[in-house]
Amino acid sequence: MENDYFSIDAILAENQKIQCTFKVDIPDMGHLAGGSDHDIKSLTKAPIPIWLAYIMLFSDWADFTIPAPFGTRVRNALKAEPRSVKLSNLVGAGGLWYGFGKMIMDILSEEQANGISEVLTKAFKGRLLEVIDQAQHFAALGPAGGGGPSADSAQSFREGLDGTERELFALAQESAKRMKRWHEGNDKARR
Amino acid sequence: MALPQSLRTSVTPLELELIASEQLVEIVPLITMEKTAFISGAYGPLRPPAKCRIPLWMATNLKLKKKCHIVPPEWLSADFLQERLARETSRPEFSKLPLRFAEIAKVILDVASDDVQNADKIKSLLKDLREARQAKSRDGLQKLDHSELSLPNLCSMEINEIRPFFIQAMGILTQLVREPPAE
Repeated sequence: MENDYFSIDAILAENQKIQCTFKVDIPDMGHLAGGSDHDIKSLTKAPIPIWLAYIMLFSDWADFTIPAPFGTRVRNALKAEPRSVKLSNLVGAGGLWYGFGKMIMDILSEEQANGISEVLTKAFKGRLLEVIDQAQHFAALGPAGGGGPSADSAQSFREGLDGTERELFALAQESAKRMKRWHEGNDKARR
Repeated sequence: MALPQSLRTSVTPLELELIASEQLVEIVPLITMEKTAFISGAYGPLRPPAKCRIPLWMATNLKLKKKCHIVPPEWLSADFLQERLARETSRPEFSKLPLRFAEIAKVILDVASDDVQNADKIKSLLKDLREARQAKSRDGLQKLDHSELSLPNLCSMEINEIRPFFIQAMGILTQLVREPPAE
């Protein structure tokens, strides 16, 4: 998630596109927007990956709108019940919703950034407990897999985990498994 | 680094057990041995039936050769653990237990369960205790924020269990939370 040059996560998150509106004409670059026009006219809208958007925004060549994964709809859904939102569906392959949000947050002005930060933090905290609970539950079950009455909602929650949460899930599961192995093993023979 | 992710953030339970094996326990020796120097110090002499304090690793070794009885520490008794369990379930904070109680209890119960009174009862008490404490550290997760988390009286094994994902989660929160600019 950190903006480290070598961080694969950061590179993946930078690959997300955001909707930009050009403020100036850019001659001879029409092919980049995918159209048949020769120039990019001002007020043209085009999805631009974040790594390219930085320079365009800071040079004041374009404006951008806050992307849908952080729009009002998603915010309201998160406010209602953070655990029922499928974060992985909001962003494309790789699914780094938090990483993407962090990048948007860094571009935005103070006030808006605080808003996004609050959304991200609340969502993360709201979902964290469920992530860990499920990880420990699965570690206890072993490879046989789940079942039970709440299996459906639990499964759909797991499918909606974002990449960052997946990593946490794996860590917690591994840790719980190791503890279980240690507690259950009686290694008299080893000594 | 070539280490798998899970080994980078914390040590394994077995390594903790190894560390705990340096702690001293009382034994009743069944053999005679002169005072002997080891790297960690000199232990002995062993003169049955006088009690002697030696490291746990040495005690397990002697015990497995049937050359001593281990005297369980006073906290490893059904009464003491029962009292702690009652306290654990009735109060919100963690009750105070020896830092490495989980490791030591397991080693002693593994190799010398015949020296411990009510070994089965103690085993089940330890399990209940562990579960009660786990529920509490889960509550701690709810209170997690990006800068600090205070869970006093948590024991080494429990810290080690929650360490990898607590750290990761706090790291993520650090990224997500925006500090108000310093005045």
